[in-house]
Amino acid sequence: MAASTPTSRFLQRVQPYLYVLPAAAFVGYFLLYPMIVTLWQSFTRYDGITDPVFIGFGNFRALFLDPHFLLSLRNTLIWTVAAVILPVTLGLALAIGINRLRWSGFFKSSIYLPATISAAAVGILYSFIFAFDNGVLNSALRAVGLNFLVSRWLFEAPLNTFAMIAAYTWQSTGLNLMLFLVGLQGLSPEPIEAAKLDGCTGFNLTRRIIVPMLMPFIVIATLLAVVNGFKVFDLIWVMTQGGPGRSSETLAVTMYREGFILFKQGYSAAIAVVISIAAIAFSYLYLRSVLDQESHV
Amino acid sequence: MSATSLEWGAAGPIRRNAGFVGVLVLTVFWLLPLVILMMNAVKSPQEYLLTSGISLPQSFHLFENLARAWAKGLSSGFINSLIYGLVGSTAAVVLSALAAYGIVRLRIPRGLFWFLLIYSGTVFPFQMYLIPLFNMYLSTGMYDTRIGMIGFYVAITIPFCTFVMRGFFLTVPWQIQEAAALDGASSWTIFWRIMFPMARAPLILLVLIQFTWIWNDLLFGLVLTKSDEVRPIMVALVGMQGVYGATDGPSVIAATLIGSAPTLILFLALQRYFIRGLSLGVGAR
Repeated sequence: MAASTPTSRFLQRVQPYLYVLPAAAFVGYFLLYPMIVTLWQSFTRYDGITDPVFIGFGNFRALFLDPHFLLSLRNTLIWTVAAVILPVTLGLALAIGINRLRWSGFFKSSIYLPATISAAAVGILYSFIFAFDNGVLNSALRAVGLNFLVSRWLFEAPLNTFAMIAAYTWQSTGLNLMLFLVGLQGLSPEPIEAAKLDGCTGFNLTRRIIVPMLMPFIVIATLLAVVNGFKVFDLIWVMTQGGPGRSSETLAVTMYREGFILFKQGYSAAIAVVISIAAIAFSYLYLRSVLDQESHV
Repeated sequence: MSATSLEWGAAGPIRRNAGFVGVLVLTVFWLLPLVILMMNAVKSPQEYLLTSGISLPQSFHLFENLARAWAKGLSSGFINSLIYGLVGSTAAVVLSALAAYGIVRLRIPRGLFWFLLIYSGTVFPFQMYLIPLFNMYLSTGMYDTRIGMIGFYVAITIPFCTFVMRGFFLTVPWQIQEAAALDGASSWTIFWRIMFPMARAPLILLVLIQFTWIWNDLLFGLVLTKSDEVRPIMVALVGMQGVYGATDGPSVIAATLIGSAPTLILFLALQRYFIRGLSLGVGAR
């Protein structure tokens, strides 16, 4: 039989590698190798031109004494908490509300619509909404006589962070809504029917039966929101560039500024490592809940 | 009432109508920013500067605004991103299907290691490879080239595609492959003639998701390009906002709407697939 000659056995053995290696090579060259270099650079002083100098944990120690970094860390925490509370809660409430309504398809698509455009586009559009002179929001406030609320939305910290979070919520609620609608479709109707027979309806039914049954999805959505909120860059870069001054920077923006504008690449790499450690911790929890969820379905 | 019905709301008609009105109001509120911005995209630059941001347009200059935006740098970005999106996502999906096939169906030794090696590309945040990538692109001459952009976009979209295709190949029955192998089909024939056509649905879905991702990318366009001829659409848009945002708002808004149109249309046309994709593996990057 042909399959047992030494040459064909060898071919048999190398064959799988021919399929796997191209993809692995792309990932290795463009992603994994640079990642290892970043890790190394985070322990060096490096300006991108002269040779990097190994300084141990010097960058990391400097980070926690740097007021820019500490402010950026605080902003990142605000972003993360807000990114969890606003889009996830709104998405959950809407999913439960929309599910039993007529026109639900229209509502779903409308709320999801902003999620289909890029964060950069959302940033540009909301820059026009929050503009001072003839921005949409200020114009509307003036039109209804609420002049005292007219503000320089994007030029005052921490107000600009909240304005950007509003834009972020507008964009990311749709994803959460869809996630929870998928979850609702998978719920078994028996416990709900039983609870209804026992006279549990409306808000009580939602709170006592439906929300607990959706808990795995709530956990997944929350962890996903944490990871995404932690990494947000485009929106901030477009709307304030982290300004005025450096007051609305988050870690992702600080890393970009240190690395590509101030060319402190070693320092910037250290920030990247900090972001990664936090993101990986939450990604790990996220992935575990997703896999748990899949094994139940 | 069917078993799968979700009509658990035994609330009376009044409360149900209240809920309907509430959701309707919120939806209108959600769409309002887009509607008002579209009104502004129609105004002439002078009218935009002189009137309130919520006033109804007195003239119709949408096409002039668009033409100006297109001439001021949107055109090259649009075409570049079209190329990056189509070539990048297609190449990534094919390479990922091959890899997943090798891992799952050809049972490469230490398959889990190879899968995790590829998948690890999606675990770390982008910041983790930004600086060395930039330096590498400068020293190899890939900086500010189209081929460099495509290479990177292929690499960054491979991990998620491999994740999904691995999941798909795990569900394909082994009998098909064994029968074909008994008939003397090579692994390539089985892949190309049997597996690839079978995987049409997830493959198309992945091309869509990854096209959208590439189209929407800003960060890597900022870092890896500088010239108009190479930079992708989002970088072009943000550049326009910086230069013309204050003087020519309508054309920047119009440009942003145009730049968002392809992914918007993809979504509206293929909603069903996108939503199925959500349950397929949440959190496509």
